[in-house]
Amino acid sequence: MAAIGLLAKEAADRELLGLMLGELGHRAEGAGRLEEALEFARERRTKAFLLVDGGGADAESLTRELIRAFPLMPVVVALKVRDASRAVALMRVGAAEVVAPPWTPEDLKASVSKGLRFQGTAISVASAAPLSRSPVWYALAVGLFLAAGLGVASLKRVEANRAAAAARVDRWELPVRHPAGLAFDGKSLWLVEWFTQSFYALSPDDTAVRIVRHLTAETPVAAAFTAEAMWTVSADGTVIRRMRDDKMTPLARYAKAAPNCAGLAFDGLYLWTLDARAKVLRKHLVDRELSVLATYRWRGSKPAGLVFDGRSLWTLDAADRRLVRYGLERPEEPVDGIPLPEYAEGDYIPTGVSWDGSRFWTVGEAKDGRSPARLVRHKEEAR
Amino acid sequence: MTRAPHLVPALLRFPGSSARQDSWGRLLKVTAGGAELSTAARLAKGEAVLVQFDLGGERLLVPAVVHHAYDDDDGARFAELRWSDMVSRRRLARVLLEVLAKS
Repeated sequence: MAAIGLLAKEAADRELLGLMLGELGHRAEGAGRLEEALEFARERRTKAFLLVDGGGADAESLTRELIRAFPLMPVVVALKVRDASRAVALMRVGAAEVVAPPWTPEDLKASVSKGLRFQGTAISVASAAPLSRSPVWYALAVGLFLAAGLGVASLKRVEANRAAAAARVDRWELPVRHPAGLAFDGKSLWLVEWFTQSFYALSPDDTAVRIVRHLTAETPVAAAFTAEAMWTVSADGTVIRRMRDDKMTPLARYAKAAPNCAGLAFDGLYLWTLDARAKVLRKHLVDRELSVLATYRWRGSKPAGLVFDGRSLWTLDAADRRLVRYGLERPEEPVDGIPLPEYAEGDYIPTGVSWDGSRFWTVGEAKDGRSPARLVRHKEEAR
Repeated sequence: MTRAPHLVPALLRFPGSSARQDSWGRLLKVTAGGAELSTAARLAKGEAVLVQFDLGGERLLVPAVVHHAYDDDDGARFAELRWSDMVSRRRLARVLLEVLAKS
């Protein structure tokens, strides 16, 4: 609450303006003459003065007198007759604000509030007026700032993921030198090694060897798994159906059913073999003779592996270093393919491929034949 | 940027087509490009107004356009003006330089 002096010649004006000031929370005491107003100001330490211009009173001279007596006290003038030039003239002599008739509490509040916080005009040669932005502008600015922040965070995250991917090990040296094929049984990767005539079950997490099975009478070159059985192919083309037990007990033998076998795959109904010499894909019915239902020409350079990923057949071309996809309906026509840049240097030759449900794995033999074989886990997006 | 000892009063005149009475206000800030004005007149964005005020001993009459306007916390109208006449702007810039040079 501020004490405000009220100077109006007419009692009705004093009463009306006094009521309005009271509504605004100010304490007003009216005076009809300048001497009374000055006395009031000295006694009550008023914060501002409200004068009425007109009705026999000249606010211009009254303003001068009040400012002379109280230079720092704001003076607000209420006009009885609207006159813009008069209002500007009053402000020039020192009135802080001028209220136009008809007087309303709203106008009075705005003028008194402004008068109590009297300041000077800021002057600058700066070319443009200071920008006052709309709420929409600020909302857009905040939105842009947040978007930029998110963008930077996303870029950092992508970069971090890239660094993590680069740091992740996706290739391993194996304790064998002559891999011939690769298969996945749902838990382990099975490496077929023709030189030692062995199967190695490897952990997909760290490629640790879990199981080793040595076959003394056969030279395995390919393998595949079904729900109940393990299928293997020997170098002489014999296909063997085995139990999935510790001894890999043979259940059936199909002599020379898959000559020159580079890969073996089971699509859930038929068994598929890839003949490396004839360059053909064979579709076998799983019957007593493992009958060949169809033969399809394979249009690659050097067949090295075959795998079924649940939808399509994929062959591994060691010369082109590519995986090539074939649809089950028309296996003679490749659908598409993906390159294997992991073999681009040429010091390893891919010899087997498998699919773990989300990613391809390949195994490669060192070109010099003396270095350890290498197992590669390919990028997920490669498919 | 400097600050005058008081708020510069301004007389506001409007084009005849707007059929508005003259009004008045206080210039809170003056630059060569525009001004900030506190007034009781209900100025609207895009409205043309002729601003007359005294600065540096000279009476200036500068056409302006309301660039932005809103009611402030006190209930008065705050308006951001952009001077629209290049000749008046140059004159105002000269006056501002003189005022600032003296301050």
